[in-house]
Amino acid sequence: MKKIITSFSLVLISTICLGQNDLPDTKIRSLAGTEVLFSSLGMNSDTAIIISLWATWCIPCIQELEAISEQYEERQKETPFKLIAISVDDSRTTNRVKPFVKGRGWPFEIYLDVNSDLKRALNINDVPHVLIIKSGKIVYQHNGYVAGNEEVLFEKLKINR
Amino acid sequence: MKKLQLLITALLFTFILSAQKDNGHFSGSFESFTQYYHKDTKIDAVLPPDKIGSNNFLKLDYNYKQFTAGVQFEAYLPSIQGYPYLLNDAKLVNKYFKYNSNNFSVQVGDFYEQFGSGLVFRAWENRQIGINNALEGANIQVTPLPFLNLKAIYGRQRKVFEYANSNIRGLDAEIDFSKTSKTIPATRVAAGFSYVSRYQEYTGPIVDFPATVNATSTRLDINGGTASLSLEYVHKKSDPHEANNFDNTSGKAFLTNLSLAKNNFGSILTFRTLENMDFRSERESIQSIGLMNFIPAITRQHDYLTTNIYVYNAQTMGEIGGQLDLFYNAQKNTGLGGKYGSKFSLNFSGYRGHGSMDGLFSFGDNEYFHDLNLEWKKKWSEKFSTILLYQHVLYNRMVIEGEPFPDVKTHTIVLNALLKYAKKKAFRFELQHLATKQDRGNWAAALTEFSFAPSWTFYLSDLYNYGITDTHYATIGGSYTRGGTRFGLSYGRQRAGLFCVGGVCRYVPAATGFTATLTSTF
Repeated sequence: MKKIITSFSLVLISTICLGQNDLPDTKIRSLAGTEVLFSSLGMNSDTAIIISLWATWCIPCIQELEAISEQYEERQKETPFKLIAISVDDSRTTNRVKPFVKGRGWPFEIYLDVNSDLKRALNINDVPHVLIIKSGKIVYQHNGYVAGNEEVLFEKLKINR
Repeated sequence: MKKLQLLITALLFTFILSAQKDNGHFSGSFESFTQYYHKDTKIDAVLPPDKIGSNNFLKLDYNYKQFTAGVQFEAYLPSIQGYPYLLNDAKLVNKYFKYNSNNFSVQVGDFYEQFGSGLVFRAWENRQIGINNALEGANIQVTPLPFLNLKAIYGRQRKVFEYANSNIRGLDAEIDFSKTSKTIPATRVAAGFSYVSRYQEYTGPIVDFPATVNATSTRLDINGGTASLSLEYVHKKSDPHEANNFDNTSGKAFLTNLSLAKNNFGSILTFRTLENMDFRSERESIQSIGLMNFIPAITRQHDYLTTNIYVYNAQTMGEIGGQLDLFYNAQKNTGLGGKYGSKFSLNFSGYRGHGSMDGLFSFGDNEYFHDLNLEWKKKWSEKFSTILLYQHVLYNRMVIEGEPFPDVKTHTIVLNALLKYAKKKAFRFELQHLATKQDRGNWAAALTEFSFAPSWTFYLSDLYNYGITDTHYATIGGSYTRGGTRFGLSYGRQRAGLFCVGGVCRYVPAATGFTATLTSTF
């Protein structure tokens, strides 16, 4: 019991502190297999970037990306943004990512985080998890997806345009 | 001892907090999974003496310029039912320190790593199924030339709260030929080579017993814009141990993927064959303890209630088979796509035993598993969309579960419908049916879910095994999410069976009770 209390109070203390800002220098791979630093993905540009951590086996992840994909062009006119979808599929399903994305016609930039190094560095517990990054800072994040979350995401984009 | 650890954690916090005033930053995550069980004779749920199970993970990282340090604190108070180990303890387990620059990184302490596809070596974590194979030691990565990546690792593998009684060392080299010239070619060609070695002292009577086991992997990736091909071959020296019934033959594996992807169409064909590829940090280890390599079932990972009943588990002692996937996007305003577009996918996977004792590429007569499934996603209007799934499975119980029962053949249909009746409000329902003449017969399932974005969801589901056992597995639950924090609460019955995440499975016993989950990213 004591341990639970300690754990909880630790969490409490840490949530009070400002959250994470700087982006980790973790290596991820492009669909062609080239290693890329997460921190180098145009993170310091003025355009807001949505980062979505997802997997081909995660139904809510696909629903979310599908919902954004459907409104992609329309929403670009309101607030320009870029979406980078990083798959946490491990080597069981990594090879399915490229054909899967092409077969869905998604207009996103796709990267692979095969052994969850980035997921761990960003301290993300489960997918789907989205982040909005503006000028190298995480300005919004949300875990999980239910229909309509994309509306909230677009609202946050407008605030941070 | 425990108090000391808590003290260290507290001190670390103080350090982190004070350090935050200058440049560094701090981040972390917390995850808690707690269950309260009660007696349920209908499903033969075994009540643990304590009635409570709770797995808790707190991870903290501190980053200052090119340095990162972190710890992970785990508390099992005690561990939940079905977790692979019975634990009633809390410890600060993973600790690491890392320096990372452009061409050089070094990590000391506990680290995760993967060589190639993981067929020869993978250190990873999956909390839900109780896997944490981090190595405690050193991991050095260098890029001496732009096209060459080198990794060297050394350490002892984590074994629950202890460390395995062996040393693991490994080397991995990857050459990216597309970076050897100044112009970037359209096709990326890369080759890799890995070497992994495990030493565990042997004091038994057998002369020339292999205390050291070496394994190598050679791989090639050719990645064009549309087509890509990858090949990997793994060879493991003689390694008699408990989990392979002290088989002293060498292990072999071959894996290849061929994929084609163009706009709105994608396909991939995977072929894999294995022989005696169980690789452990300790000879005595069984089940999911001490795994050094990663051999997932290469099948589609389903996540509906009825499509997850008969799930394959890769047979590391020997299997041959593969998978084919086809994905097609019928665009908006086309004949097939209709006004809002439609998506189709087809997946087939099949595995069987080898034909002869020494034929890595021979197909035998004993079929272990196959899964054929078709999925059609259709958007009917701005508000309404459906997913329809059909699945046919053949499941060899004798091979997969080791039980002398006939093969199970199933036909399953799933309908998943979503009605987004307001901008941020939605109603979702699932109707499912699995038909089989074998095992426990037919299953039906229904689920309804109401969601209010971005915070609230409520659901009610029932999985009903009718005809033979006539058992309902009903669950009611809800969750609240705010930013990176989510809290969920549910009450209901949990079906006994294989619980699979990320292609690795473990057996979960039947249980009835409350489940509370809290996850947070900060």
